[in-house]
Amino acid sequence: MQPQHRPTYPRMLHPGAWWLWALGLAAAASRTRNPVPLLLVVAVTALVVAARKGDAPWARSYAAFLKLALLVIVLRVVFQALLSSGSQGPTVLFTLPELPIPGSTGIKLGGVVSLEAVLRAFYEGLQLATIIVAVGAANALGSARRLLRSVPGALYEVGVAVVIALTFAPQLVTDATRVREAHRLRGQSGGVRSLKRLIMPVLEGALERSVELAAAMDSRGYGRTSDAGHSARRAAGVFSLTGLLGLSVGVYGLLSGTGADWMGMPMLVAGALLSALGIHLGGRRTGRTTYRPDPWAFPEWAVAGSGLVAAVTMFVTAEVAPGSLILASPTQLPPVPLLAVLGILVAALPTVLAPPLPRAAAEETTSTGQREKVAA
Amino acid sequence: MSTTRVVPLQLRSGVALALASAVGLLGFLWPFFVEPGAALDSSHSGDAPYLFVAILPLLAAIVLAELTAGGLDAKAVAMLGMLSAVGGALRALGPGMAGIEPSFALVILGGRVFGRGFGFVLGATTMFTGALITGGVGPWLPFQMMTAAWVGFLAGSLPRLRGRAEVALLAAYGAVAGLAFGMVMNIWFWPFVSYAPEVSYVTGAPLVENLGRYALFYVTTSLLWDAGRAVVTAGALLVAGTALLRALRRAGRRAAFGVPVAFER
Repeated sequence: MQPQHRPTYPRMLHPGAWWLWALGLAAAASRTRNPVPLLLVVAVTALVVAARKGDAPWARSYAAFLKLALLVIVLRVVFQALLSSGSQGPTVLFTLPELPIPGSTGIKLGGVVSLEAVLRAFYEGLQLATIIVAVGAANALGSARRLLRSVPGALYEVGVAVVIALTFAPQLVTDATRVREAHRLRGQSGGVRSLKRLIMPVLEGALERSVELAAAMDSRGYGRTSDAGHSARRAAGVFSLTGLLGLSVGVYGLLSGTGADWMGMPMLVAGALLSALGIHLGGRRTGRTTYRPDPWAFPEWAVAGSGLVAAVTMFVTAEVAPGSLILASPTQLPPVPLLAVLGILVAALPTVLAPPLPRAAAEETTSTGQREKVAA
Repeated sequence: MSTTRVVPLQLRSGVALALASAVGLLGFLWPFFVEPGAALDSSHSGDAPYLFVAILPLLAAIVLAELTAGGLDAKAVAMLGMLSAVGGALRALGPGMAGIEPSFALVILGGRVFGRGFGFVLGATTMFTGALITGGVGPWLPFQMMTAAWVGFLAGSLPRLRGRAEVALLAAYGAVAGLAFGMVMNIWFWPFVSYAPEVSYVTGAPLVENLGRYALFYVTTSLLWDAGRAVVTAGALLVAGTALLRALRRAGRRAAFGVPVAFER
């Protein structure tokens, strides 16, 4: 068995697997407003992030997303309490001073605030917050920058531009700090004018570098396209445009109440498939290979599959027992949808199924060096 | 002042852009157009927002692939990367959403100087880079990319003017774009939120009624925020517009975009 198939062999998991896993959890959260499975999803993401996140800068984004999620819940509850005097329940918590807004808007500020309205707002906010937290876990675990390596060939140039931008952005921040320090040493104060004095040298430096970089890329043969590209290009265009037409018709069919059945979802799916094929064919023209591609081995299948299990069990529960996922009354004790809960617990398996991170870059290089010696 | 067309818009990419923009626009504006009894009528299911969250990345990918199908040359890619880097770095300096404004001014200037096709791609890559730098990749990203791309595209389509009039035009456009960006981005998540029945979206209600509800939602939640963005974008363009335009045009001349390369024996 090759080492990358073992969950114990330390390496970076393919970021795509983490994103699929998080997508599964987010899809599961989108089906329910029951706080039990929602809080469980949050707990599972926290567990996996704690177990498998690295120490790269983007790994900190989970905390930022958690804050955003909390903000969503708080905003939702506050707005519900302040704005919706019309949709309150019978259990009155307290009464705020009321401020009617003139005009026929029907909006009232303040008034009675009931337990039902606050709880309903909390559950709805919790659903959105859970989706946000799942996305945050994906950001923390699977680096989107690493995912850029798997960008389809048709988007090669755009991908290169983004890689250039990511490489030079930290330098530009350094540039900006240096310029600002120079200003301060000269005793120039801040203000609107200082913005111009700051951005001009930074931009000039960036433009200068871009011209140099282009010359360097040209001299290294960037932009060579394969000869087989011409017919593939035409085919890609045909597929993309037909696919786009299909998407347009599909969206129209879904939005209008009178269209035939075939105009809705079938057309949309066909259009999406055709345009995906177009993007795939469009990638032929570059004819390039990837240096040390990220492997997609057993741990990747396991991680992505565990997210899928969570989504599927939730969708099955939504079909079989919808009452356990959307509460009829917000004040009732939330039931425990057993199947969905088991599915979400399966999504916690990446804590052991995902390979541990290589401890440090230095250690990794020495160990690969030893392996190569052994292989030789 | 001639405009260099760094990313030329041919018939094929133009059609792709128009179609994708039409579907993308529906991805934002669908709450106003759902007919009662339609498959997306959210009184049956709340799936409509998720559907468009799934479609938008595909749309963005198709348009970007088609726009660059002829193969961008190294100079264009390097310029695109550097300008996105400046936008992304500006975003990293400002906290959260507040950092979008200066990069907005840059997208407008880039679209103005290097043409509308370049503006479109620049808007998309700037938003993408900013999201990667701040670690904020999420379902909102394709929507931001599409909207910023339109901002860059329209900046490249503005009528030709010179001197102070051009800067004034760009600043006015920046203010409008700043407001419109917030308005459009809010529609994206409007159906997700239901703070109160008076400001929430009702499926199948007449267009005017839903527009009224949206206006109320917009004024109560985010007008102040967006007004700030509009003022900052316009202010940045007014203060530094002339100098930045000159710098970008000089770089464009030095790079000599669009000059045919001929080898002689």
